[in-house]
Amino acid sequence: MGPQPTAGGVLATPSAPSAVPARSRRGFGRWLKRNRLEIALCAPFALYVTFFMFVPVLQSIYYSFVHRGTSDFTFDNYRTVVNQSQFSDAFWNTIGITIMGVSMEMVIGLGIALMLARAFRGRGLFRSIVLIPMGVPTLVAGAAMLYFIGFNGYLNKLLLDLGIIDVPVYWQQSGLRGMFVIALSDLWKATPLVVLILLAGLEAIPGDVYEAADVDGANGWQKFWNHTIPLLMPAITMALILRAIDAFRIFDIAMVIAGQAIPVMSSFVYFDYQAGRTNTASAAAVILLLMIVVFVVAYIFLVERRSEVER
Amino acid sequence: MSSTTITPATQPAPAAEPAFVPKRRLRPGDILFWVLAIVVSIVILTPIYVLFKVSVSTVAQATAPSPSWLIRSVTWDNWNRLLTWDVIGSPLTNSLTVATGTAILAVLLAAPAAYVISRLPPRSRYLVILAVLFTRMFPEVIIATPIATNFFRWGLNDTNLGLMMAHLIRTLPLACWIMIGSFQVIPRDLEEASFVDGGSKISTLVRVVLPLGLPGIAVAAIFAWLDSWNDLLYAIYLFLTERTLPLVTYYYANRGTVTDVATFSIIMTIPVILITLFLQRWIRSGYLSGAVKG
Repeated sequence: MGPQPTAGGVLATPSAPSAVPARSRRGFGRWLKRNRLEIALCAPFALYVTFFMFVPVLQSIYYSFVHRGTSDFTFDNYRTVVNQSQFSDAFWNTIGITIMGVSMEMVIGLGIALMLARAFRGRGLFRSIVLIPMGVPTLVAGAAMLYFIGFNGYLNKLLLDLGIIDVPVYWQQSGLRGMFVIALSDLWKATPLVVLILLAGLEAIPGDVYEAADVDGANGWQKFWNHTIPLLMPAITMALILRAIDAFRIFDIAMVIAGQAIPVMSSFVYFDYQAGRTNTASAAAVILLLMIVVFVVAYIFLVERRSEVER
Repeated sequence: MSSTTITPATQPAPAAEPAFVPKRRLRPGDILFWVLAIVVSIVILTPIYVLFKVSVSTVAQATAPSPSWLIRSVTWDNWNRLLTWDVIGSPLTNSLTVATGTAILAVLLAAPAAYVISRLPPRSRYLVILAVLFTRMFPEVIIATPIATNFFRWGLNDTNLGLMMAHLIRTLPLACWIMIGSFQVIPRDLEEASFVDGGSKISTLVRVVLPLGLPGIAVAAIFAWLDSWNDLLYAIYLFLTERTLPLVTYYYANRGTVTDVATFSIIMTIPVILITLFLQRWIRSGYLSGAVKG
C-alpha cells in the first residue's frame, strides 16, 4: 500500500509524498469528514444515553461518597445505610426473592418449554395462553396477586380447600412468606420470557443428536440430562442472567403488594429518596448495582470455567 | 437399494412435520401431559379471571372470608363509577401522551444510530450490542435518583415531557437493539443498487432503508410505547400526584380499595393485551416481503 515509485507511474509519484504527512496530521479530521453522516446519525442517541444514563449513574456514585451538607468525601452514607434494619431486610428480601423466583422460573419454564417442543393438538392455543402474562403490566401482575395473598385471599382458600392448611396464613409479612408471595407473582409474570428463550434453544438442537443417543440406547432421562441440558446451556445462561438481573431490580410488584412492609432494594432506595435522604439512597443504589455486577461476573466466571474444564 | 425406499415409509411424517400429530393409542404419559397442560393453563389464566371477578363484585363480596371461585352475581358499579371522565380522563390522557411521545422520540433517536450500528463490521457491531445490553445491569433506581434531582432543578418534574425523557432512558437501548436486528437483514445490495442509480446517502436511507426497516421500527415503537405505558418507577419518582394510570393503580392499591384496584388493573391491561396480540401477528409476517425478489 506504501509509495511504489516504480509501479505507481507518473500520476502516483507526485501526490504520494504530500498525501502521507497530510493523512497522519489530519487523519482524525478526515475520518470525521468522511463519516460525518454516520456520526450525525449516531450523535443524538449516544449523547442521550451518555447524559441521561451514564452521567446519572456516576452522579449516584458521587452522591453516595459525599457528605450531605458539606460535600466532603465520606463513607458515612454506607455506614448509615448498612446499619438500618430496613436495609438489611431489603437486602435479604431481594436475594431471597431472586433465588426463589428465578429457580422456580427456570424449572417451570424449562418444563413448559419441553412441553411446547412436542407436537400435539392445541399447541398453538397452549402457547398463546402461556405467553399471556407477558402482555400484562408488571404492576397488574402484582395487583392481581393481592387477591391471592390476602388473609381472605384465594391462595389461603385453595390451600384450605385442598386440606393443606387448617387456618388461613397471613402471607403479607416480612420474611420467607413475604419473599415467597413476591417471588410467586414474579414467577407468573416472568416465566413466559424464560419459556420463549428456552424454547428457541430447544428448537435449535439438531435432531440427529437424539438419533445418535437412541443408537447408544440412552433412555429418556439420560437423553435429557446428557444431551438436552448441555446443548441448552447457552439459552439457560441467557435466560438466567436476564431474569436474575430483573429480579434483583424488582420494584413494581413489591411496591404494589407490600409497599414499605416488605422492602426490597429498589423500593428501599425509593423510600429513602422520598424521605429526602438522597445520599444514603444513592449508597443503597450503588450496593444494588454491585450485587448485580457481582452476580453476573460470578455466574459467568463459574459457569464458563466449569464448561472449559469439561472440555 | 430397497432399504432406502422403505425407510421413508416406516418413519412417517412426525419427525419432519411437527404440526402433524400421528394417530395412536392414548398412553398414560399422554394423559399426564394433557393434565399438566390444562393445569398450567388454568394457573396462568386464574389471576386474570380473579381480577375480572373482583372488578364486577361489591367490596363486601371481594373481602368476604372464603371467597367463591365462581362469579355468582355481577355488578357493574365499579366500572360505571371509574369509567367517567372525571376519574379516568386526566391519567388516561397523560398515560397516552407520555407513551406515544416516548415511542416517537425513541424511534427518532434510536433508529439512525441503529442503522449505523447495523452497518458496522460484525466484530464491532457485536461489541456495541453487548454494550447496549450491558446497560440493563444498571438498576433503574440508581438512574432515577439523580434524574429526579436534576429534573426538579430544571423544572421538568411533574411534567409529561420530563416523564417522556425519563422513559427514554429505559426504552432507547431496547429500541436500538430491536432495530439493529431488523436493519441488519436489509441486504446491502439494495443500498448499493440505489447508489449506482445515482442516489445520495440520505436519499438511499429515506427511499430504501426506511421502508424496509419499517416493520422493525414499528415493533421498536410499540415496545417503547408499552414500556412507557406500564412504568411505575420513573412516574413515582417524578410525580407527586396521581398523574398516570400506573400511579392511580398503585395509590388505590396502597389505600386498599380492592375492587377499584382490580378495575383499574383491567383498564390498564386491555390496550396492552390488544397491542401484544397485534404485535405477534406483525412479527410473524416476514420483514422483507419480496423486496429482494422485486
